[in-house]
Amino acid sequence: AHYDFLEKIECDLNPFPHCEFFRVEGIVRPWRIRFVVDQLSDNGILGMTVTQVAGAGVQGGKGERYGGTEHGMASLIEKSKLEVVCLRSQVNIVVRIIATAAHTGEIGDGKIFVVPIAEVVRIRTGETGAVAERMEGGMMDMKQEPG
Amino acid sequence: MQANTRPCSGKACHQSVPKALSANQCSSQHTLQSEQFSRACRRPSVLRKAKQGRRQSVLQASGAVLEDKGVDLRREFSAFDRVSVLSEALPYLQRFRGKTIVIKYGGAAMKDPTLKEGVVKDLVLLSCVGINCVLVHGGGPEINIWLNKLGIEAQFKNGLRVTDGPTMDVVEMVLGGRVNKSLVTLIQQAGGMAVGLCGKDSGIIRARQMVEKEIGFVGDITSVDASLLKTLAEDGYTPVVASVAADHTGQALNVNADIAAGEIAAALQAEQLILMTDVPGVLRDKNDISTKFVELDIRETRELVDEGVIAGGMIPKVECCIRCLAQGVNATHIIDGRLPHSLLMELLTDEGVGTMITG
Repeated sequence: AHYDFLEKIECDLNPFPHCEFFRVEGIVRPWRIRFVVDQLSDNGILGMTVTQVAGAGVQGGKGERYGGTEHGMASLIEKSKLEVVCLRSQVNIVVRIIATAAHTGEIGDGKIFVVPIAEVVRIRTGETGAVAERMEGGMMDMKQEPG
Repeated sequence: MQANTRPCSGKACHQSVPKALSANQCSSQHTLQSEQFSRACRRPSVLRKAKQGRRQSVLQASGAVLEDKGVDLRREFSAFDRVSVLSEALPYLQRFRGKTIVIKYGGAAMKDPTLKEGVVKDLVLLSCVGINCVLVHGGGPEINIWLNKLGIEAQFKNGLRVTDGPTMDVVEMVLGGRVNKSLVTLIQQAGGMAVGLCGKDSGIIRARQMVEKEIGFVGDITSVDASLLKTLAEDGYTPVVASVAADHTGQALNVNADIAAGEIAAALQAEQLILMTDVPGVLRDKNDISTKFVELDIRETRELVDEGVIAGGMIPKVECCIRCLAQGVNATHIIDGRLPHSLLMELLTDEGVGTMITG
């Protein structure tokens, strides 16, 4: 039941009505990142950036368990941050994929932020906007293929 | 005996396989084999891709009843058969070499002396081939015996022992003294190098008294310091840890051995956690062993708990597995400790003898 919920996440993008692109930032467990990346690439998300970060997220005094130990307020725990810049129409799909693949149900699964992006430039060609964002063989192309 | 469950290798096929297996089965197993090996060599990748092989092959293996045939089969095998079977274990040995495996030892495998000896032999074998094993044990039945002798009545609440002061003393003595040291002795006798510890030693396990106070000195694990275990394991010793912990005041606390094993696995960043139990694994229908799940991931496990398929005493076990997986342990296994060599079967064959839960 939990997973059905994750697969129906709707992001509210209304505060940015004219924004064409968004960056989806997922902060997830480091060992989980490979599942997330695999799932994204299976679904045609071919451009992404991962950084190693550290963070804390303590709700009502309940910390996360990491390395067999309970962590409270002051301790930062290693996480991986995954950034995907995608079209407005793809935001929900990307968020759902990240959420489902990173989910374990334990405290410390992570958070996802959606940030508006003004412009995309591909350095090699100088292309801008939707052309620069689009990846050949990516999600757009996969959808257009019949069947 | 293990040879029977293992798919055969090319030329030796017809010699090495007992008459019970037809040539037909032989070839189908053979093709499966190579696929499985290539899969086996990498970590299980995307959520459920690696699963098919394990599932198919267990169907073939589940039919075989091995205990009675064991001795006869061994006589039928030539020396060549035995080495060829041994050489087939290579990919598995390579996969686990240098990795840490945490084994929770308990239940029937602990009571029956022959099983006990088998487990210890398996353990020594694993550490001989370069796998770092850490053994974590409880010892409920043994505690009951000693409580009985001292005229203290054993009480349970929701599967947890109600542990008052005197009981805690007995628990600590029995687990840390008798059970722990008898395991150490057995491992030493089998040619291993064991070091017996309890959770108190070098602060391996710190705990806090559980919120439900009526239960007495029962602890929730707050932290694990695995540096000592790491040092020992890297030097080739087999740490044997009794599930007794201390809180910040030094009060001894009784902690659940499954959970202790899970947290130690997490702290060691272990490759695998293995829980030896008295059940064949996670079953869809409690009474039908053929409905066993060979492999599950966190998602499927959670869904099964929601559906009520996983219930009763299995819930804390899978919870423990999930908690451990969420901290980065690669796979957890719930295996049937009543079967001889269940450890080796689970680790060194694709069929396994229990349920493997992956992240």
